[in-house]
Amino acid sequence: MNMTEWLDDFLLRAIFAGLIMVVIAAPMGCLMVWQRLAFLSDTLGHAAVLGVGLGLMLQLAPIFGVLAVALVIVFSLSRVSSFNSALSETTLAIISHTGLAGGIILVGLLPGPAVNLEAILFGDLLATTSADLLNLLLTTALLLVLLLRYWRAFVAVSVSREIAQAEGIEVRRIQFLMYIMIALLVAVMMKVMGVLLIAAMLVIPTTSARLFSRSPEQMVYISGLYGLAALGGGITSSFHFDWQTGPAIVVSATLLLLLTLGITRLVKPDLE
Amino acid sequence: MANELLLRADDISYSQGKRLILDRVSFELRRAQITTVIGPNGAGKSTLTNVVTGLIDNYSGKVERSPELRIGYLPQKVYVNTLMPLSVERLLRLTRQSSAAEIEQALTQSEVAYLRHRQVRSLSEGELKRVLLARTTLGKPDLIVLDEPTAGVDVSGEIRMYQLIGELRDQLQCAVLLVSHDLHLVMSQTDQVLCLNQHLCCSGLPESVSQHPEYLALFGRQAAESIAVYAHHHDHEHDVSGALETHEHD
Repeated sequence: MNMTEWLDDFLLRAIFAGLIMVVIAAPMGCLMVWQRLAFLSDTLGHAAVLGVGLGLMLQLAPIFGVLAVALVIVFSLSRVSSFNSALSETTLAIISHTGLAGGIILVGLLPGPAVNLEAILFGDLLATTSADLLNLLLTTALLLVLLLRYWRAFVAVSVSREIAQAEGIEVRRIQFLMYIMIALLVAVMMKVMGVLLIAAMLVIPTTSARLFSRSPEQMVYISGLYGLAALGGGITSSFHFDWQTGPAIVVSATLLLLLTLGITRLVKPDLE
Repeated sequence: MANELLLRADDISYSQGKRLILDRVSFELRRAQITTVIGPNGAGKSTLTNVVTGLIDNYSGKVERSPELRIGYLPQKVYVNTLMPLSVERLLRLTRQSSAAEIEQALTQSEVAYLRHRQVRSLSEGELKRVLLARTTLGKPDLIVLDEPTAGVDVSGEIRMYQLIGELRDQLQCAVLLVSHDLHLVMSQTDQVLCLNQHLCCSGLPESVSQHPEYLALFGRQAAESIAVYAHHHDHEHDVSGALETHEHD
């Protein structure tokens, strides 16, 4: 295999993985912003380091460890109280940082060659393997099916729990489904964005889109476009300037947000 | 059929932990009648509406509903998400499909047709309440349950809101269950008052309730007198501008 072929191949895989992530991050990100759950994805991301450590220790693929830890957190949280209370915010912060700290200690203790902690924390898009790609593709397909099937209920619960409940939507079940979907999402996005930057990819393009969207669905599509542009900017700068890909994507997304803010201020100065 | 019995609640009790919230409450809701629930804070008013709408089902006692009773519900506290771009029209379509004509009609009845394409987050509290009132009338409800529909609305808006509820009752021929703090404003529209303080202190026509000793004990003589004054002027009411409007009563 000559050099050019190899280059093409890993770059193509990276681009493909990035595209899949953008497709699923747009609707999931919107739902999480609407329901103020961005902090939950951040918590699951941080605690995912513990999952990586556990996975490696048990000689499993890290993604299974991550998924297991995320599901345990989601199950226990859903049993205590609503995520929106101040208590839960403290709880989330404690889980988040304990998971991160415990995970880093565990990874450090592992025998054998040192684990690339940087790749876990900040992602390593350009090292995407075919197996990663397959995982990402299958999970995204599952999430998309669930999103399409329950979209009306998700939107209704986001607008008002009281109204949704009164009009026959089983709010608790829908929210629980949502939490499980977030756990799945974190497990697959980790590879691309790194555990510390997942929440950024869910929140920043969504915030840009919110500035001028008129309907929930429009916000999803526009978020997707912003995600796409951030991905393009991130991969390009990563390839040319040797920046780390995850951080480069986040910085691109933020630059786009600032640009959009500036333009909307100029066009409609009265916009909040 | 006018006065058709839509819902009969028989000896309803409900506790939360050790706290008794409803104590053997019985009442009936009939078509085209407005029933107003009054009572001090913590009297169990919202719990009572939750029993009626079915949000609470672990009560003791019996609720009989007429078959396929359709209920429209306006909860007391509606936290409407401001992070989501959402038009008024879409808010009305949130949990079910309605035709454009039905949406238009519902908004027109609540006098907010002009808000149809506005974003929900740009509405004032009063506008939002009207839109949510319109929402309860979609899908031809037999019963509308309104839990303090005027909280956060100014006084003239409040008076108009209660008139609107009366008009909706006339147009839709539905029963209305209304939780309200201001009996003196609801007065002219109300057919039946349930005065609640865990147990049903008294019930009946507004005038008779306002003379009942338990009512006086709860709300004081002054409140009763302000009702008496309104009752006296039962044959007319003020519109928003303050002009008198005569009102046929049957």
